[in-house]
Amino acid sequence: MHGYLWFIAKRALQMLAVIFCAISATFLVTHLSPIDPVEQVLGRLSSRANLSPEAIASTRAALSDLFGTGAPLHEQYVNFWLRLVRGDFGPSLMAFPTPAMDIVARAMPWTLGLLVSATLITFVIGNLLGALAGYNQNNRFFKLFGIIAMGIQPIPYYVVAFILLIIFGFLWPVLPISGGFAMDVTPGYNWPFISSVLQHAILPTLSVVIVGFGGWFIGMRALVSNVVNDDYVTYAELAGVDKSTIVGGYVIRNAMVPQLTALALALGGVFSGTVITEQVFNYPGLGSLLIDAVNYGDYSLVLAVSTVSITAVAVAIFTVDLLHPLLDPRVKAE
Amino acid sequence: MTEDLLKVEGLKAYYQMNYFGVEREVRAVDDITMTIRKNEIYGIAGESSSGKTSFIKVLAAAIRPPMRIVAGSVKYDFKNGPIDVATATPAQIEAVRWRHLSYIMQGSMSVLNPVRRIGRTFEDFARRPLGLSGEAYRARVLNHLERLKLPADVLNAYPHELSGGMRQRVTIGLATVCHPEFVIADEPTTALDVVVQKEVLGLIREIQQDMGSSVVFVTHDMTVHANMADRVGIIYAGRLVEEGPTRQMFFAPKHPYTAHLVASLPRIGDTAQRPALEGRPPSLASPPSGCRFHPRCPLAIDKCKTDVPPLIQVANDHRSACWRWQDVEPLVVPQRHEVMA
Repeated sequence: MHGYLWFIAKRALQMLAVIFCAISATFLVTHLSPIDPVEQVLGRLSSRANLSPEAIASTRAALSDLFGTGAPLHEQYVNFWLRLVRGDFGPSLMAFPTPAMDIVARAMPWTLGLLVSATLITFVIGNLLGALAGYNQNNRFFKLFGIIAMGIQPIPYYVVAFILLIIFGFLWPVLPISGGFAMDVTPGYNWPFISSVLQHAILPTLSVVIVGFGGWFIGMRALVSNVVNDDYVTYAELAGVDKSTIVGGYVIRNAMVPQLTALALALGGVFSGTVITEQVFNYPGLGSLLIDAVNYGDYSLVLAVSTVSITAVAVAIFTVDLLHPLLDPRVKAE
Repeated sequence: MTEDLLKVEGLKAYYQMNYFGVEREVRAVDDITMTIRKNEIYGIAGESSSGKTSFIKVLAAAIRPPMRIVAGSVKYDFKNGPIDVATATPAQIEAVRWRHLSYIMQGSMSVLNPVRRIGRTFEDFARRPLGLSGEAYRARVLNHLERLKLPADVLNAYPHELSGGMRQRVTIGLATVCHPEFVIADEPTTALDVVVQKEVLGLIREIQQDMGSSVVFVTHDMTVHANMADRVGIIYAGRLVEEGPTRQMFFAPKHPYTAHLVASLPRIGDTAQRPALEGRPPSLASPPSGCRFHPRCPLAIDKCKTDVPPLIQVANDHRSACWRWQDVEPLVVPQRHEVMA
């Protein structure tokens, strides 16, 4: 057990190092970007009021003081980390002075709820059907399924999303196509709200499932069709071992190891995959937030969103590393 | 004469494949007739791709497409009743599997599920056919492991944690824990070093004598046959060309191919490489006419090219399929200590 603890400690340190580097890189990229949040706010202000140049200059000075963008980069960087270790990303610049973390916390449940469940649904359906297709290679139904999956899989994600929008939004308008819930319900634990959220989630979830399903299906089918020809499966079949034991304990169990690794990575990647989905379906999650934040040059918010995403990916990889020796006894925890 | 346990008659099993519309037929087992008795070890020898593995796959009722039994019968006379595995339904075969008919597959390295503990695998394989549960089952398995000189804690191990020899003993244990009447072993000692090989062979022999079952094993290694088998059958290009008691097969082979196989045994004191038999085993997709060995046979006459020699009795309990069996001389007389059987 000592070995396993040491292994965990080593991997945890690696994870922290990865998070640190990635956040630093994001910090640099946002701060070196030509979009200046001060100018963005000024632009918004001056488009609505006729300000004198002096007023603009003093507002600019006040804003850069307020946002802390006047200080040299290295000072900003140190301050950033000092605040970050206390869990504070500073105020959002586009919704000043709301803390960036509050905005992220408001958007996060939407993203998690939609994309994590969509990814899990995709994973379960894709792998189950893929495993069955790999095991029953001559079954016509699964052959047809393979062809369909193969056909849909390369279609770009946004095309599928728009086709869904056209079908269910215009040709047969039965489902809401935009937003996270209807305007006329009160958020909270009440049935109208929950059902509205579920209805609004159908199309985005469907689009993720349709596009993602093929990859899991084809991958699992290939893995299983290899495992099925492995000696231990043939031998178990010859020995008259229970069919369900063979499929579960021999075939899927062995084919699953690489798929679970991929699942953890896919879950980590949920945060980056979310941008297009949320944009197309106007979903109030982290993806939409990130795009707004980039457009407004809102460093704090971009950093808050990316930090959440970076941490999620790093933690997902860490979890896979920890689980791997347990999933596959041949992998030694070292 | 002892009773027969297995009667194979006129067995033909072909691989039928279709490559891009071109039908191809590989006659892996082509008209084999033989019997295997109760309580004997029968060795099957032959070159690679001679069809020996295909043959025992049929015996083990382990054929799958593209292989198909084209003709013949494979009749077992088990304690729970006779069965012809060439025509039996899957349910009937299921009923004899592991309890009566078991199989040690080639390649001990890969026949165990890598992510399952040995104990679980034993449960998968043996619990139902044994029909025991709880303590009785456990006692039976532990008792069997002890006989195989395996420590009880292999049950908690994963296959990759065991050495090659231990893994082979585990697979032998899996195949014999139900005390089957008939055990088929495909190359049970390939990939093991000579010391472990000897140990494993001794174990198979011991268990066979304990259980009074019949063992058929396949290997191309003639030394193993010399040490293990009561009778040896030689398969060449999908046909049984000679069979007989091990001693006679080694000292007085009646088929030129057997004579060459025996002559290939290395010997202490060899200074030069042993002469190899010219040519290659024939393609089973388009085997030569007549005797399939004639293109490589030093004794071949014109008749061999056109007429298929039948497998005839040439001595007591000794059959050969050669037109010129009377002219076959042993190429090398094996030293006495080489043939212990």
